[in-house]
Amino acid sequence: MEAAHAVTFAALGSHLLVGLSRAMILFIVSSGLSFVLGVLRVPNVAHGSLYMIGAFSAYTVFTAVGGQTGFWLALVLAPLVVAAVSFVAERSLFCRLYEREHLMLLLFTFALMLILDDLVKIIWGADYRSIMAPDYFKGSVNIFGSSFPKYNLFLLAAGPVVAVGLWLFTNRTKIGKIARAAAVDREMVGAVGINVSWVFAFAFVLGCFLAGLGGALVAPTVSITLGMDHDIIIEAFLIVTIGGLGNMWGAMVGSLIFGITQSFGVLLWPQFAIVFPYAAVVIVLLARPTGLLKSVW
Amino acid sequence: MLRVEEVYKSFDGFMAVNRASLHVGRGQIVAVIGPNGAGKTTLFNLITGQLTPDRGRIFFEEQDITRLPPFAICRRGIARSFQIANVFPRLTVFTNVQVSVLSQQNKSGKLFRPATNMAIKETYDILEHVGLSDKAQHLAGSLSHGDQRILEIAIALGNKPNLLILDEPTAGMSPEETKRTMDLIKGLAQVRNLTILFCEHDMDIVFDVAQSIMVMHHGSTLIQGTPQEVRENKEVQEAYLGGEDA
Amino acid sequence: MADTNKKTLLLSTVLFIALLVVPAILPRFYTYIIASIFVTALLAMSLNLVVGYGGLYQFHHCAFYGVSAYTVALLITKAHVPYWVAFGAGPIAGAIVGYLIGWFCVRLSKLYFGMLQISLGSLIWALAFRWYSLTGGDDGIHGIPVPDFISSTKSSYYFILIVLTISLILMYIIIKSPFGTTLQATRDNPERCEAVGINVRKHQLVALVISTFFAGVSGVLYVILEQSVFPDLLFWVLSLEVFIMCLLGGWFTFAGPIIGAAMMVSLRTFVGVYTEYWTLVLGVLLILLIFFLPEGIMGFFLEKFGAKAPTEDHGGQH
Repeated sequence: MEAAHAVTFAALGSHLLVGLSRAMILFIVSSGLSFVLGVLRVPNVAHGSLYMIGAFSAYTVFTAVGGQTGFWLALVLAPLVVAAVSFVAERSLFCRLYEREHLMLLLFTFALMLILDDLVKIIWGADYRSIMAPDYFKGSVNIFGSSFPKYNLFLLAAGPVVAVGLWLFTNRTKIGKIARAAAVDREMVGAVGINVSWVFAFAFVLGCFLAGLGGALVAPTVSITLGMDHDIIIEAFLIVTIGGLGNMWGAMVGSLIFGITQSFGVLLWPQFAIVFPYAAVVIVLLARPTGLLKSVW
Repeated sequence: MLRVEEVYKSFDGFMAVNRASLHVGRGQIVAVIGPNGAGKTTLFNLITGQLTPDRGRIFFEEQDITRLPPFAICRRGIARSFQIANVFPRLTVFTNVQVSVLSQQNKSGKLFRPATNMAIKETYDILEHVGLSDKAQHLAGSLSHGDQRILEIAIALGNKPNLLILDEPTAGMSPEETKRTMDLIKGLAQVRNLTILFCEHDMDIVFDVAQSIMVMHHGSTLIQGTPQEVRENKEVQEAYLGGEDA
Repeated sequence: MADTNKKTLLLSTVLFIALLVVPAILPRFYTYIIASIFVTALLAMSLNLVVGYGGLYQFHHCAFYGVSAYTVALLITKAHVPYWVAFGAGPIAGAIVGYLIGWFCVRLSKLYFGMLQISLGSLIWALAFRWYSLTGGDDGIHGIPVPDFISSTKSSYYFILIVLTISLILMYIIIKSPFGTTLQATRDNPERCEAVGINVRKHQLVALVISTFFAGVSGVLYVILEQSVFPDLLFWVLSLEVFIMCLLGGWFTFAGPIIGAAMMVSLRTFVGVYTEYWTLVLGVLLILLIFFLPEGIMGFFLEKFGAKAPTEDHGGQH
């Protein structure tokens, strides 16, 4: 009996940690989505595709350079690639639509998703890819009497770092403050003589950068493949919604709820594990119809 | 007919309506006046159910309507217009009013009969009355601001109300439009046997039209009385009319 | 106005007769594709009822389509009920689930409405996807028997055409009814609607039930045409596609979603023959549309040929 208890406790602990590290990836991706949603008021459907491009770019950099350097270089370059892609899309086409019907923006991001997904297929093909974390992230450590992958510990650290970085950025830098102000009241920002279009461009690229970063970070833990964008995009949307649209800390809270219910679902009822996070979202939305934290909408 | 008993409403600690009371008798034209931010619109929203008071009660025809949703209050015979032009911009002028007439006739839920043959006469009567019948097929969103305000009143009339509440019916109108609108409102009261409650900035209009005036200040009722009583009230003069009368 | 109505009626009749002779002259494959367009078009039309006319963020419409298709499939293969009972149960199941989900969703506004619906719809998808013993999981259910007289491509084509036509007429009548007019009013200005005595939530909920019922009809037609079901029918990607069809064809027009559906299905089929990158073509095409035909294809033609959009042309004659 005691042994059974110990196992259960260990299992709980390790599932909690797995859930938390999953939550960090979800947070990095959904905070980017939330940022775009807050400033541009557009649900960017292509966000998942950009995440996928992040993962594939990380793969390319990693295989070209290799080893430890390759891994770190991939983490730096892959988000930049994604940022560049989104910058081009924004400046060439997207920025011309800001004055138009809102659903047109949604339609555009859908078109962008279709195009990017096929471009990924053309460039990288339909094979499964993977990359390796450096040696010091390999293997497991023993926590709560059960083994826990070291790389997940790295993810656990990465999430808060990004959160703090993003917070400092939006609260301490001028452009960040302007973007935040634009989220709350765009007329006012326009009225004080700031070029709103460039603020939007900046917010869009930053949001997409975070998607790319999420993709690069997740790359060593999953098989990189077409279709990996489908799950993440819907999860990110739900997270942003339950957290409060456009609220960065809301994205964090939402990610934690999603990640943890997901991993406990695996423990409780493996066959229907995917049901748990969706059910959690339903419960949250019924209790708090506009999300847990204050929405900027 | 309408009795508002000491209602309160606060937003994030700000007392928008702070103990306001109001009495509207059948067939009266009653005005609510007060400086900007005195809580007139909030009071109207409390009466018609867009907002629910924190405390206090509201009676219409001796029945408590305090916590009813807007549509239920409307069904009991209170129709209103809004301060900003609040119409259905993508529908025609005709349909704007028809929607309201259909609702009043309890036909909004009819699924299998063409709407084109329903409530035609009633709708055109109203449009005729307010002078919009020649623009019946225009999209409401394409009307001038003044016409949209008139359309608002027409929509409210579609409900065949006993009590009509108008929130600054002449805001943003030119002097001619204002005159036309006020004549219309006076006419309505007589022809349709309506009771009217309205708020207004223009004191000349108020003292010209209203039979009873309620003065609001910082969300509270200062006084309600005849124009004569209000004019002579010391408190009102100090708080509000003072500068203008002198 | 009566003149345009007559023209539309004439055009529809000609089109209907043309569609009647299609199976006689076109190869089987094309008959199948057109039938497939019909099924998708009905789905898109039913969605547009609440999106275009009701202004609701119905983001997971396929949930109801899939529920109906699965209901039919399970009733026939597991419960062995008579075909017609199963076919009738599909739309009813769609409408019941539509009512239950809608009851929660109408309490929320705009994007939150859509997100709650995606969550609830995804729950259903997850059930179909993981409940292997009942639904066959990601394999789905194949070889669902249908009555002999609609089992061939040709006969199912006619059956689908007739059901589609009846459904379209019903939907048209509903849109032109006081209910439809009021629904458009709730889309334009829900606050004002409340103030003229309309129970907006109730009205929206009824619209959702009607819409999901027709989505259910479309689900039944899908089973008849394909004789199989699989979890992708309930997946949000399909819902998004159908949503896009409405925008593509023009969501303020009655026939717009049909055009959108026809475009999507034929692109997938015919461009798919030449290249596996048909979604790239679709994406580029969408962007061209956004920039050059913002009112959607149907909206463009209506503007060009001077007819008014259906949202504007009712309101009685003098």
